Amino acid sequence: MTITSRDCLGRVLRREPTDRIPVDFGGTAVTGIHVRMVELLRRHYGLDEGPVKVTEPYQMLGEVGADLREAMGIDVVGLTPRTTMFGFENRGWREFRTFWGQLVLVPEGFQSSLDGNGDLVIYPEGDRTARPSGRMPKAGFFFDTIVRQDPIDESRLDPADNLEEFTPLDERDVAHWKAQVVALEGSTSGVIANVGGTALGDIALVPGPWMKNPRGIRDVAEWYMTTAARPDYVHAIFEKQTDVAIGRLQALHAIAGELIQAVFLCGTDFGTQDSQFLSPRSFRELYLPYYRRMNDWIHRHTGWRTFKHSCGSVEPLISSFVDAGFDILNPVQVNAAKMDPQTLKDKYGERVIFWGGGADTQRILPFASPGEVEAHVLRQCEIFGKGGGFVFNTVHNVQANVPVENVAAMVRALRRANGRAA
Amino acid sequence: MSDILQRLSECVEAGKANASSPFPAELKGQPGADELCQQALAAGVSPTDVLERGLVPGMARIGEKFNCGDAFVPEMLLSARAMTAAMKHLRPYFASGEVKRRGVFVCCTVQGDLHDIGKNIVAMVVEGAGFEVVDLGVDCRAEKILEAVEKHPGCAVGLSALLTTTMVNMEHIVREIRARHPQTLILVGGAPVTREFCEKIGANHYSPDPQGAVLYLKSAIAAA
Repeated sequence: MTITSRDCLGRVLRREPTDRIPVDFGGTAVTGIHVRMVELLRRHYGLDEGPVKVTEPYQMLGEVGADLREAMGIDVVGLTPRTTMFGFENRGWREFRTFWGQLVLVPEGFQSSLDGNGDLVIYPEGDRTARPSGRMPKAGFFFDTIVRQDPIDESRLDPADNLEEFTPLDERDVAHWKAQVVALEGSTSGVIANVGGTALGDIALVPGPWMKNPRGIRDVAEWYMTTAARPDYVHAIFEKQTDVAIGRLQALHAIAGELIQAVFLCGTDFGTQDSQFLSPRSFRELYLPYYRRMNDWIHRHTGWRTFKHSCGSVEPLISSFVDAGFDILNPVQVNAAKMDPQTLKDKYGERVIFWGGGADTQRILPFASPGEVEAHVLRQCEIFGKGGGFVFNTVHNVQANVPVENVAAMVRALRRANGRAA
Repeated sequence: MSDILQRLSECVEAGKANASSPFPAELKGQPGADELCQQALAAGVSPTDVLERGLVPGMARIGEKFNCGDAFVPEMLLSARAMTAAMKHLRPYFASGEVKRRGVFVCCTVQGDLHDIGKNIVAMVVEGAGFEVVDLGVDCRAEKILEAVEKHPGCAVGLSALLTTTMVNMEHIVREIRARHPQTLILVGGAPVTREFCEKIGANHYSPDPQGAVLYLKSAIAAA
């Protein structure tokens, strides 16, 4: 008898034998599918072709609904914070025409305009009187943050300015999380929670695109320099942020309990294509103590497994991630330097659950033939799936430029790897 | 003279921009690249020596450390900031022609792409190697690049992309440059870009790191 998606994910997270590799697409903002691709996939699988909801506006990720999950064999659903990266809620859906001509659905808070260059700019909290906080170039497929950095006066730098966004769950948040829990009653899906507020120094979040007037250090390059030049400032932020984050985790556990199986704690990228953003020593000094506190709280009080996302060549840091208490590594960027799948599996397979690495989204999925994609995915599943400890996902989100035939080939290969009819 | 240039190069390598800069902690309160550059010029050191014996060696050393994994993005950015703090005092000499540079490097992130950390680091390292850098910014169309190529005859062009969705725009840009200025040296880089892709689109050189771009530019210009 086939076990449920929830059981399957649970067994993999507990390192118990299972009957297949569980699959995630859409469970988090780093394991999703671009809205253009969601529409193409829906057409491919013969599903309803109405406009797709943009559930994550920053990267323009589309809703992976129950019917698409069924068609693609997806096992995981994600619980999300109340507001998006641009500070509005996902409600009040209306039609919107994208640069690439697709009619999609966006929330009422998705307030945008064209700037002088013809690019699309978006406003925090849907407030058009505020400075825009995101820009999508007219040749682009998603937003990037607009840095709003006031001049820095070294003598007036105050970590509290960079802590403004880290707050306990309020009544509206609690109601939102409770509603998600109710909606999942009777569900047999695996569950990952995106709690928010737990990522330390994530460069996508530092500019505070959901805030109208972010203060402190918000410029990307300035933040990177701050990690080396102003360590006391960063420690002060992380210390207080961790206190608040543990409070949020505690509140979330009180609401959702063990419905949650994994929790996405941090998406800070420590890897570049060929190297790292910092040395293992700097990681252990600056980040590890705070991650450790969060992970320790989770492991002492819950059965959740913790999910660390970091793009790039992070092999020299994986042992430190483990020491920081993380259970799961994502997106497992197998084409980056020193990220050979077999080496990773051999070296870390006993200590790390690989959630990703199932298909190379940089060089294979967008550019190879369907046959090459199938062979690649089978190989990845063979390596990472051996002995368990593997949740299938591509290396980061499936982007807008991927041929739909290649995604279908990936799904076929996955079914074959799982011993099912393709 | 050699002492002040040595200290200047050390400040660039260490990322010590000026006296008020808190980094690195062991140099707190001491003059940085900004002040040392002014002092050197005031003492009569030639601006060419300030560039070639002060700034260039400092940037070269941090660039090598970056390549070897002994320095990382934050340290590179701090060094680049220190170099820029000193370089501003040399601008009048560049403008007057008293200091000659190795060549002009026009760089940008290509159309549709707003990511510029990698491009900025390459630009700073190339500038620190003695080239004039014309940074066109992000989301650049072929027309804008062609304008710059025509304004700076003989320049080399550096194209950057972070995304698989935007790296494909490099192909069109390279084709447009080749059509009008076939001898232009074109370098490409960015996370998804490979040597094979570089060859496929007809660019001259792919470098996974800034130091590789500098070495190529130096050798290509020496050979020209």
